Amino acid sequence: MMVAYFGFILLVAFNKPLLGTLVTRGLSLGMLLGALVIIVAWILTWTYVRWANTHYDASLAKLRERR
Amino acid sequence: MTSAIGEPNAIAITFFLVFIVLSLGITVWASRKTRTAEHFYTAGKSVTAFQNGLALAGDYMSAASFLGIAGLVALSGFDGLIYSIGWLVGWPIVMFLIAEPLRNLGRYTFADVLAARLRQTPIRIAAAIGSLAVIAFYLIAQMVGAGNLIRLLFGLPYEAAVVIVGAVMLAYVLFGGMIATTWVQIIKAVLLLGGATLLALMVLSRFDFNPLALFAQASDMYGASVLSPGRQVSDPIDAVSLGLALMLGTAGLPHILMRFYTVPDARTARTSVGYATAFIGFFYLLTFVLGFGAMVLIGRDAITGIDAGGNMAAPLLAEAVGGTPFLGFISAVAFATILAVVAGLTLSGAATLSHDLWVSVVRGAKADQREQLVVARAATVLLAAVSILLGIAFKGQNVAYMVGLAFAIAASANFPALVLSIFWKRLTTAGAQSSMIVGTVSALLLIYLSPTIQVDILHNSGAWFPLRNPGIVSIPLSFVVAIGVSLLWPVASEARRFAELERQLHLGVESADELT
Repeated sequence: MMVAYFGFILLVAFNKPLLGTLVTRGLSLGMLLGALVIIVAWILTWTYVRWANTHYDASLAKLRERR
Repeated sequence: MTSAIGEPNAIAITFFLVFIVLSLGITVWASRKTRTAEHFYTAGKSVTAFQNGLALAGDYMSAASFLGIAGLVALSGFDGLIYSIGWLVGWPIVMFLIAEPLRNLGRYTFADVLAARLRQTPIRIAAAIGSLAVIAFYLIAQMVGAGNLIRLLFGLPYEAAVVIVGAVMLAYVLFGGMIATTWVQIIKAVLLLGGATLLALMVLSRFDFNPLALFAQASDMYGASVLSPGRQVSDPIDAVSLGLALMLGTAGLPHILMRFYTVPDARTARTSVGYATAFIGFFYLLTFVLGFGAMVLIGRDAITGIDAGGNMAAPLLAEAVGGTPFLGFISAVAFATILAVVAGLTLSGAATLSHDLWVSVVRGAKADQREQLVVARAATVLLAAVSILLGIAFKGQNVAYMVGLAFAIAASANFPALVLSIFWKRLTTAGAQSSMIVGTVSALLLIYLSPTIQVDILHNSGAWFPLRNPGIVSIPLSFVVAIGVSLLWPVASEARRFAELERQLHLGVESADELT
């Protein structure tokens, strides 16, 4: 997540012309990447929630029993 | 374009009164259930993941998000979106680093986590200083925003508007505690998401539901530069600094962290962050459409004509696409937004004052439930009075800037100590304490020395510190101080205490009452 976001911020900081490139009429590369950062955040958090609720919690329960 | 903004709007007032009556009704219901400090601070840990997800979103999507970002995008295009994106990416950080350990180890405030493994008194005092600084700046921003909004929308004087917000918020928190505050957040989040979606759809209907057609018309009207990074982030290091503060600040906001104590366990805490991220991300995607919609349909000159900061872009857009009734609805939603955020902030401030300072430090954790509740309520009244006074004193300040300040302090003061206390065995009391103090002081000092204060407000010719956002200096500094002090003066007993707590940190305990 931090890689995606800081990649984006560093592009904003150091390579403005690249982000200003138009992908298609009305859509610059910067706006496309910005929207993608939000979508990546969705995918990452929900993947984690699903993984943790099924696998991680089960392992924790086992650890608790071994007290 | 003539606008009904600035005249009393019957529909806005009606919607607003309905919201107030409904939320006060909930407060009355909640007050019957609020008998202990546990209920007052954490709603008896009875909130579900979906509810807490909405409430987190409600706490987070402040007036700065709705009015501020819509205005920023309308006036500067792409640059405004940097705020949207930065505010969202804080959430995965909260999820991966903070949410579950916080739930497992704390009771009412995030300082509980540090106090569990370090010496209570110095830690709680330092954490209270950082928290109260964040809350103060955040409260000022919301109160100033509320005052301006109500003055523009309902034609009421600024001071009267600030007093009304303070009084209604006081009623929620004082009588209903966390239960009422949570429900107010949930209603507000639903209203805000619904209202913003409706507004975005009405805008898009003018462009055949194709956002690209909207963005294309914006670049035809104002030049292709609106779609690419520009003036707001002219300095590369400043851009990175802003990004850091926006991202890490979320994980240091006391009123957000407090929400993790309202759910029964770590699993629910985790799932609620998933919901919150989904809602907030969706909302920030809408801001793309709202901002560019206002740019095209209203025009920049008309927006700055009403309010120089651009804060009225969203209400103006509502009027343009849906007439006066829709303006009334969106105005009421914006007001409800501010009211709910102020309530959440006040509650977390009350928790800091009464739980961290009074009960734990002054009374040495010997206060009974009755006394805790009395002190918490007294702290609420005090904070409401202070926030009304601050709101009036800071009349005319820039809202987005004050919120940025709050995020920078949160990221420098609270975040490093909290993360290190969860993950680093060798952190000592002195290390955490000095990190929180250095973080708070350096962030405040650098903001004072920045061009925003020195050049824009004090009209000096130059500033000692070149950056507008202190994050890139103050956040690493706070980490370095914590690690340096802990390594220079190690405390073996505190490292052992961490080993004992690690189990509870990751596994949680069956009953939170085992913790004191």
